[in-house]
Amino acid sequence: MEKKKVKIKQRIKPGKIVLQIFMTVLALLFLTPIFIIINYSFKTKKELYLNSPLSLPESLNFDNYVKAFDKLDLVTTFGNTLLYTVISVFLLAVLCGVTAWAIARCKRKFFKFCYVYFIVGILIPYQALFLPIYIIGFNLHLTNTRYGIIFMYVATGISFGVFLMNSFMSTVPLELEEAARIDGCSVYRTYFSVVLPLLRPAMATLVIMQAFQIWNDYLLASLYVSKNDLKTLTVSIQSLFSAQSNDYTTAMAAIVISVLPIVILFLALQKYFIKGMTVGAVKG
Amino acid sequence: MKGNKISALEKKMSRQYFILVLPGFIIFTIGLILPLILAIRYSFTTWDGMSPEKPFVGFQNYIDLWKDSDFRNAWWFTIRFTIWNTIIQNIGALLLAVILDAGIRAKKIYRAVFFIPCLISALVVGFVWMKMFSNVLPALNDLLGTEFNFLLFGQKETVLAGLLIANNWQWIGYWMLIYLAGLQSVPGDLYEAAKVDGAGAIKRFFKITIPMLAPAITICVVGITTGSLKVYDLLVSSTRGGPGRASTSVIYQTYTTAINGRQYGYGSAMSVTLVVVLLLVALIQVKGLKKKEVQA
Repeated sequence: MEKKKVKIKQRIKPGKIVLQIFMTVLALLFLTPIFIIINYSFKTKKELYLNSPLSLPESLNFDNYVKAFDKLDLVTTFGNTLLYTVISVFLLAVLCGVTAWAIARCKRKFFKFCYVYFIVGILIPYQALFLPIYIIGFNLHLTNTRYGIIFMYVATGISFGVFLMNSFMSTVPLELEEAARIDGCSVYRTYFSVVLPLLRPAMATLVIMQAFQIWNDYLLASLYVSKNDLKTLTVSIQSLFSAQSNDYTTAMAAIVISVLPIVILFLALQKYFIKGMTVGAVKG
Repeated sequence: MKGNKISALEKKMSRQYFILVLPGFIIFTIGLILPLILAIRYSFTTWDGMSPEKPFVGFQNYIDLWKDSDFRNAWWFTIRFTIWNTIIQNIGALLLAVILDAGIRAKKIYRAVFFIPCLISALVVGFVWMKMFSNVLPALNDLLGTEFNFLLFGQKETVLAGLLIANNWQWIGYWMLIYLAGLQSVPGDLYEAAKVDGAGAIKRFFKITIPMLAPAITICVVGITTGSLKVYDLLVSSTRGGPGRASTSVIYQTYTTAINGRQYGYGSAMSVTLVVVLLLVALIQVKGLKKKEVQA
């Protein structure tokens, strides 16, 4: 402890102060667009047209938020996005967990093949394959259904999820599993009662990583759900963007509403978030 | 007897493992592998997406692609976007990570500030920067009495720069975090030893930090390149591929050709081309960078 203190004191040099100022300026520049979004979301139409874009609104009025609720059909779209995200992420957590575990534990050839099969999937970009993805969805009657879009989110997220869970499997001690087996547990029970509880940190990471991608997805949602009562936030925000490119105070309020949940999730679970993102970097 | 029992148990267990893998395997195959196979198949036809017959034309679509100047332009834009992104984002992210790691105060706050933009959907990022360039920043001119041209999305020459600003604003913090984790795994006594040997800060950076960060560099370079080649969402809400065709990316071009132009066969050929390029780029980069990792 004592040593650390000495070190910190030594570190305050002119160079450090310059760096500190540089980073502060940079951070403020990074925050400018976010400040602009929030600032605009409180402006009235009059303020938008007459005042400088940089000036603050005269009062905090929530009219834009009320309008955004109405224009985006927010109760429906927010509910849809939340539903798709929660169910897809839940399914991904279950499927990726069992798949990665089975692949890690069973030494047969088929499972080795599966590992390669899923890993190659990480390199296949679904964004480039949106066309056949749409065609398949159309032919299997998956488009404009809730389960269709959820199915696609699971299918496109599963390869990364299996890779992520697989890299955590070495943290599960084999002895515990063997003990469970000797006690007569089936493979399924071993997984759910022994392995799953140990995978909790990995699961948290998986959930966060996938949740923010699915929440922000535009391409798949725009292909799969065009019916009004199935639309997601990003899709209806995009229609708002193109319909009202002049009066964008409502759009800015809509942005705040759509970003807020994911920022809160990030700030609350920052630790897992960072762990999930860096698992690849450290493993190489 | 005993041997038999064990193998029976093993068989039962493999079966149970198999059942665990099966659902994921099927969903993945239908949702991602089947589209890939279909894309390859359709790319040899002139299917319009509606009619039941899919006339087979062999490699004609690929030959046409080669001659298609719009498609070439889309690639040219995508490649420039990718190269600039890879350079700016890597250097920027590494620089930020090194400064944050140098023991400045309130590190966690800076980290969160730089990271938050990547939580925002690219669609929103595109829209916000369009408004920044067209409405907010010009107000700075009035304020300062300067004459900067901030309408970057308005001209062919500057649209790429504008998109690069938006994209880097969104992603730099993400890669910074990965570099930061890499930096924290570098053992401190390496630096101490180098210091004792009289190596300066710059020499320490290039001789210790960079080689030790090799795995993180691999991840970031591959991630940024493949991510940039797939750019689409960002364009939908900002430039819509314009002005003219100046910011039409490969996926954007595929979308307009296939969905709006009803040329599914031709669009599929575009998709296949992109998948092949992405796979090749990823493989070459991983191989090349891994080699450097071993040497280091």
